[in-house]
Amino acid sequence: MAETTAALRALRPDTASRPAGGTRALEEPEATPRRRTSRLGLLMLAPTLLLLGVFFLVPAVLTGIFAFTTMSSATGISGGAYVFTANRLDALAGSGVPPETITELRTERAVVDAAGLAAAAKAGVDERFLADIKATLLGQSFAGPRDFKRALQALPNHPRRIFELKQAMEPFSHAILNTRFATRDQAAAAIRSVAPDIEPAVLDRLLSASYTGWVWTSENFVRLLTQPQTLRLCLNTVFYVAVTLGFSVAISLFLALATFYLPRRTATAFSALWLLPKITPVVLYAILWKWFTWEGGFLPILAGHLGLPAFNYMKGSVPTAWTIVIMVNGFVGASIGMILLTSALRAIPVQQLWASEVDGASRWQQVRRIILPQLKWPILFFTIYQAMSLMSSYEQIWLTTDGGPGNTTDVWALEAFRVALFDYTGNLRYGLGAAMALILVAVGLIVSLLLLRLFNFSDLVEQPRIET
Amino acid sequence: MTPTKILSCIALAAGLLSATILSAQAEDHTVTVWAGGTDESSHYRVDAIKLAAGFLERQAKLRGEDLHITVQGKTWSTWDDFKQAVTLAAESHTAPNIIVSGHEDIGPWSQAGILRPIEDYVDFDAWPLDQIYKNLVKVASFDGQIWGIPQDAEARVFFFSKPHLKAIGYSDDQIAALPERVRKGDYTLYDMLHDVKKMQDEGVVEKGKGFAPRVSNGPDYWQFYQSFGGEMVDRKTGKLVFDRKALTGMYQFFADAVKMGVVPATYLGTEWDTWHRGVAADKFGAWDGGTWHYAQWTKQFGMKDFFGKVQFSLIPAGNKNGRANSITHPLVYLLSTTGSDEDAALSAELITIASDPRINALHAISSGHLAIGSDEAKLPFYANDRWTSETTKQLLPYTNAIPNDARFGVYWSAMYKGLEAAWTGSSSVEDAVKAAETEVKSALGDHIIIR
Repeated sequence: MAETTAALRALRPDTASRPAGGTRALEEPEATPRRRTSRLGLLMLAPTLLLLGVFFLVPAVLTGIFAFTTMSSATGISGGAYVFTANRLDALAGSGVPPETITELRTERAVVDAAGLAAAAKAGVDERFLADIKATLLGQSFAGPRDFKRALQALPNHPRRIFELKQAMEPFSHAILNTRFATRDQAAAAIRSVAPDIEPAVLDRLLSASYTGWVWTSENFVRLLTQPQTLRLCLNTVFYVAVTLGFSVAISLFLALATFYLPRRTATAFSALWLLPKITPVVLYAILWKWFTWEGGFLPILAGHLGLPAFNYMKGSVPTAWTIVIMVNGFVGASIGMILLTSALRAIPVQQLWASEVDGASRWQQVRRIILPQLKWPILFFTIYQAMSLMSSYEQIWLTTDGGPGNTTDVWALEAFRVALFDYTGNLRYGLGAAMALILVAVGLIVSLLLLRLFNFSDLVEQPRIET
Repeated sequence: MTPTKILSCIALAAGLLSATILSAQAEDHTVTVWAGGTDESSHYRVDAIKLAAGFLERQAKLRGEDLHITVQGKTWSTWDDFKQAVTLAAESHTAPNIIVSGHEDIGPWSQAGILRPIEDYVDFDAWPLDQIYKNLVKVASFDGQIWGIPQDAEARVFFFSKPHLKAIGYSDDQIAALPERVRKGDYTLYDMLHDVKKMQDEGVVEKGKGFAPRVSNGPDYWQFYQSFGGEMVDRKTGKLVFDRKALTGMYQFFADAVKMGVVPATYLGTEWDTWHRGVAADKFGAWDGGTWHYAQWTKQFGMKDFFGKVQFSLIPAGNKNGRANSITHPLVYLLSTTGSDEDAALSAELITIASDPRINALHAISSGHLAIGSDEAKLPFYANDRWTSETTKQLLPYTNAIPNDARFGVYWSAMYKGLEAAWTGSSSVEDAVKAAETEVKSALGDHIIIR
């Protein structure tokens, strides 16, 4: 709590640091205009809050909800229906549902009777066609819709369009097989219409078995905890994040220091060049790497000339694939890190460096004793930010190695994306993918807290003692 | 107002009225078609619907009706992004009217309510649908209903390089007899491995290029499962089958191929164009693909004298438990639940016309696919094409399809993950099989039979 208060003081010096004295008293009459400003501020913040809600909070909440469901491309997202199909009914054999009920529900009987004719007339079926049906088929029963259709097609005035013929057949149908009911009540009523004496427990079982939508479950987490693939994904992700993070931090620090000591104009040109990985559109960036590393690309051709092994470095071997994944992502991180650390470096009072030079300090001593201690906070911020970004990033890997060769460079975020949204077989498992994403969020929070603890965050944000 | 002016006003009003009546009579329809796995040579998947629309407009004109149909087509060359697009569009009620996809999508998509059963809109007892091969109609059916109309048929093929076989001592007669030996099970996948190893050892092909199977996930890998005696579906119960022995045989085969050095451990994920260029340049000893690849190699990748360079057969058996086989993976025209019943009826009518043998033959010949019906196979245009007629005769009778079960995707993903693990050596064959078994068991429970 003390830490929070300190942080708040640092952020709102007018309310905490300034002494409550005459100045405050003089400002009292301005209380009303202040409220107006506050409302205006809220109004100006409203679009941001709205966007934050729509694009961050809602998806995050939905991910949390989806994670506890069986949602997939087969169940749909927006809800299911109730449908009795041959396969579903067959699967109920031996589950306590009486066989005669299953047989009854499987029956696709069509009966031409007076009630059917009246219903057909009410539905607007052509009168001449109805007259044909009455004259030829009244009193007949058909085992299935295909037989009934063929019988109707033999009549002189039958509709030529199959869709219209099928509509005309509906009033004579005494089947619920393959009919899609939007609600449970409709489905229950339909079952009772063919099996009036059905027991409530059997009815419940039938309705559950006929439901096509998703249900609540915690099975996604159980699966993730028990499947062997999880361990490999975790190890890959830890390796990827740790090595890429180290690479990004080291490169960005080096770049920031190098540009700090270079002449201003050269440094600007150098910095602009190193921004390219960040400002280049991600797809173009990935294509450039492909041109660089694929068979026939710059590196393999160069290697061929030098007598070194020349092959598709991006997918041809596991070590080169990992190297490229780390470099592709690491350089993007280094671009951001360079900007951040360069601006932090420029904020260091240059007099300190002049003084150290007077004392005979070398460049290395300047870096170690003056610069690095003052860069601790920006480095911490960048490390945490970059760690979170890397944990949830997959697009560069997807566009370059695609987790290959085989599945050797597959990471958690990429697998979550594939499971939920990108599967060759079309088997999109939204629930399982959301569970993976939720775990990623939880791990991200824990890692952030650990890093804050490791870098002693409370000390870093403590108000300078000289001002207290 | 003068009489002339009055007359002018009346004439103008009459003109406006008649224009209004005419415009009221004009019927404008927009039909959207999305097709997956569609490259340049398969453009007739959408263009056939456009041809059908033109035909329907002409028929309407003769009836004195003013019908305008705009067909908006969109194609994807891959499957993952296409299936994602369809699924998410369906959730937002903006799916296309006509979907051209693999038949295996019928299971999950019909359950999700994305599809209408097409048999409610078309007559399979009338021409041209009554001449479509019954086994293809069965493939387009699921759970007692016909959901789609076959758009094409195909066979998956095992290819051998004739020059490379000759270089290791095969005579022309032996090469010509190879397909029959494969069919009978006399020539197995392991015989093939030994031959391509010999090609490498004798410097006929480069190391690691003896055997070049499919570079990514696909129905092809189920063929190798069948080669080792695997069945995807239990014939009695209709349930999915996980056959440990067959899967072990299949994984072991690829692990052995890597061990022998005829295919790299890092092979999966190779770019398709690299593979196509390798085939066209005769760099591989043996490889597997589909009938449609013929069109790509000869038209896009400049392959010359295909029949002089390539021998083709069924996928060889792996051992005595298995059989030589081929999987057909017909694409089907599906009707989505988007739009009104009238929209669906019009779309179904367009699909029916597009299934006319002459129109469908344009797609078959253009893309290297096979005929969907008996009348199409008799067309001189189709029958005179050497590739389609030979593959229809040699391969099609031995093909089977992957199941339409809504749960098959889970099994498929687990199978391929295990294959990747065994192939790259990231786990042993035994562990890969166990991992796949654990995954399907936990996800499918009693819906899959473990043997």
